[in-house]
Amino acid sequence: MSNPDSVPDLTPPDSERQKPFDTSEIDEEEDNGGDENDVEDDDEDEGGNDGVFRGPNRPKPQSREARFRSEKLKMESLLQRMKTGPVSVRVHDVIIKGNTKTKDHIIEAETEVLNNVGSMQELLKASQIVNLRLQALEIFDSVKITLDSGPPELPGTANVIIEVVETANPLSGQIGAFTKAEAGSSTVEGSLKYKNLFGYGDLWDGSLAYGYDHSTELSAGLYLPRFEGLVTPVTARAYLLSQDWLKFTSYKERSMGLSLGLFSSEHHDVAYNIAWRTLTDPSQVASRSVRRQLGHNLLSSLKYTFKVDRRNSTMRPTRGYAFFSTTQLGGLVPNNRSLRFLRQEFDIRYVVPLGFYRAALNFGVSGGVVFPWGNGFSSKPSSLPERFFLGGNISPVCALGGPTALWGFKTRGLGPTEPRRQVNDGTADPSGVDYLGGDLAFTALADLSFDLPFRWFREKGIHAHVFACAGNVAKLTENEYRNFSVQKFVESLRSSVGVGLVVPTSFFRMELNYCYIVKKFDHDRAKTGVRLTFSAS
Amino acid sequence: MAQVGERESEELTLVTTKPYFDLPTACPLCLPLFIYLKLAHFPFRLSFNSIFPDSDQIPYVESGTYVAYNNENGGVIENLKRDGIVDLDSEFQSVPDWVAMKAMISSWLADAMMYELWVGSDGKSACKIYYSDLSWPIVKVLFLKQVYSVKQHLGITKDNAEQREDEIYKRAKIAYGALSTRLGDQDFLFDDRPSSLDATFLGHVLVTLHALPETSVLRSKLLEHGNVVRYAEKHKTKLIESSSSSSGPQFRSVPSSSTPKRGPSNWSSKPKSQPKREKTEGEKTFKRRARYFLAAQLVVVLLFLSLMGGNDAGDMELDDEDEGNAFD
Repeated sequence: MSNPDSVPDLTPPDSERQKPFDTSEIDEEEDNGGDENDVEDDDEDEGGNDGVFRGPNRPKPQSREARFRSEKLKMESLLQRMKTGPVSVRVHDVIIKGNTKTKDHIIEAETEVLNNVGSMQELLKASQIVNLRLQALEIFDSVKITLDSGPPELPGTANVIIEVVETANPLSGQIGAFTKAEAGSSTVEGSLKYKNLFGYGDLWDGSLAYGYDHSTELSAGLYLPRFEGLVTPVTARAYLLSQDWLKFTSYKERSMGLSLGLFSSEHHDVAYNIAWRTLTDPSQVASRSVRRQLGHNLLSSLKYTFKVDRRNSTMRPTRGYAFFSTTQLGGLVPNNRSLRFLRQEFDIRYVVPLGFYRAALNFGVSGGVVFPWGNGFSSKPSSLPERFFLGGNISPVCALGGPTALWGFKTRGLGPTEPRRQVNDGTADPSGVDYLGGDLAFTALADLSFDLPFRWFREKGIHAHVFACAGNVAKLTENEYRNFSVQKFVESLRSSVGVGLVVPTSFFRMELNYCYIVKKFDHDRAKTGVRLTFSAS
Repeated sequence: MAQVGERESEELTLVTTKPYFDLPTACPLCLPLFIYLKLAHFPFRLSFNSIFPDSDQIPYVESGTYVAYNNENGGVIENLKRDGIVDLDSEFQSVPDWVAMKAMISSWLADAMMYELWVGSDGKSACKIYYSDLSWPIVKVLFLKQVYSVKQHLGITKDNAEQREDEIYKRAKIAYGALSTRLGDQDFLFDDRPSSLDATFLGHVLVTLHALPETSVLRSKLLEHGNVVRYAEKHKTKLIESSSSSSGPQFRSVPSSSTPKRGPSNWSSKPKSQPKREKTEGEKTFKRRARYFLAAQLVVVLLFLSLMGGNDAGDMELDDEDEGNAFD
């Protein structure tokens, strides 16, 4: 990144420039591998203050040393003036060079901040912002911003010259690991990206993801930074997703859909999703509730996410707070032939630093509710995939977004169950149960993390933690809300405590924990013992 | 409530596609099973799945954890016989005529029905029977898939389409003739006693008469046999329409747009007045609590935004700590 504070590296002035007056050039160059990030400052014309910087024309070339001294003097003088107060300047023109494929308006859209600058300081800061924004488009190999003096007849102005180098190789690939909080597991994803196919800053990508919960997703996406003058980028993603829940709930889910990112900013995100979802049971042992839900459904929903994350780290938070809220409304078609539901979940985290051994107390509370809407909604069941399922092999510390994981409980390992179909195949094995999830879910966690008193562990970031968590899910639909009471819900909270070692790596956070199940119910899949969890960022 | 639920789940429940065309279910695979249970005077509840038309598991019967799917062991009727639940065919199995007629109904007439529903007619009847609760993009794709699958099953290609059609109709005509002769003026096909053959044949005839359009070739061939038509209407009145006025499951053919997705609420034979009163009160409480919950969510978000002084919705956040260090 450019750093206007560093000592400038003076280079001879550009011999092609023929200026009628002396200008001092302050070059700063910092090589960062492939990315160049230069900010060159030219001294600007100061209206009414000509004394120091504008001298008479000198047709005779000066000696190199004399020039060097003169420029250094001017630089120091400028810096001195900038230290004492704002140096008034405004941007006259923004000149864009180097873009052969990329449309001008894409680059110009990122330079709007330059129009409002009133001083040298603001101009430097704005240039930095523009540089970051252009690099964030991911379609340029390097971005160089030069500040030049404006036309001589307009004193106190500057021209901003943006030189971009478009990516030589538009195709790139990557493999990464991610945590899918709602599925309670991690995924490994490989993707190919093609940048700037049509010159609109468009990013095309195709990806294949495989999750540890037997899910596979094939998707293709498009990212448009500026679409028809919209304020925020537009993303579109077409996907084919297959998830196998046969082991836990006797159904397989296959979805084919399109997801549109309508609005996205640091805290807010609005997305629309339309999908054709099919639930099948090839094993033919599903319980009654699951059998009733097998078939095809059209999903047409709007999802709004609000998030604030002021923690200092997602892998090992030691101070700060976070708040997530997701609201999803399904059934956005003119008739009643799509899944109608309203789903709301939230997650609150608060981390208190304790000041010794980098210890921190991490508190979290999360909850969610889902119910169908429309005629007779209270007697209808909620859609299976939209329900809340607790348990999984990810750490609750990293699973942010809603009630999902609990230490010690396996995937979909707690909550209402229903006996599966009895198959008379001669064996005496019981057919097992289906975990149906719940319409109302709640989890709470408390985690004390601290460094170990061994330098090697500290250097590697390996630390220990002591934790406790509790959670529960309940059914509210099909008139079950009449039997619901907060007291019963609290009395049937499952809970666990434990201690463990946390190993953060660059790809994921691994925890080796000993969990003790304090409270569980008959069919819950949870066991006291050692468990390993993996959570990606 | 839980006890009623348990009792309900222990009762035999038949799951089929939705009612249409004045029939308790207009699917030619499901209706025979309905009629079979009626002929056997076996009490059962009717439930619907209207979102899985291409499932080979439907129709199925269930009782507690027992389930008999259509795609196992030769069909639900065979399963019910095998599991000793209902068997109307114990004395007919060895009668050669019976076996031959059964083979004819389950191959020639079944093929003819499949052809007429998906290929022979304009497909509107099939869409009403199977897709009335699905969204049109899904309907379009499923319909095309099904038409393709039927053509594959019947061996129909572009070259032999006409020839195959003639063959299918010819076989159906032969089958109708043979069954009409077999039936005569009796109440049932064999020994004046109901069998699964009657259930299967009645199911086919009723769907042909009521669901297929009037321009249907298959329908016109069936209408040539007056005794078969009378036989079907008589049993329809006796088994289907009379049961709708008794304590059995209620059904009515309703326009699809107003039909709810979930069948059981329509089919309850319990008197509705008392539960309705409770439901309204409970619904009110639930609605009120839901409103409070959503309001609390909104308040929390607003409080958070105002107290924590949320940042602008800017794209980029720079680290402001170093701003203007050299320029202060």
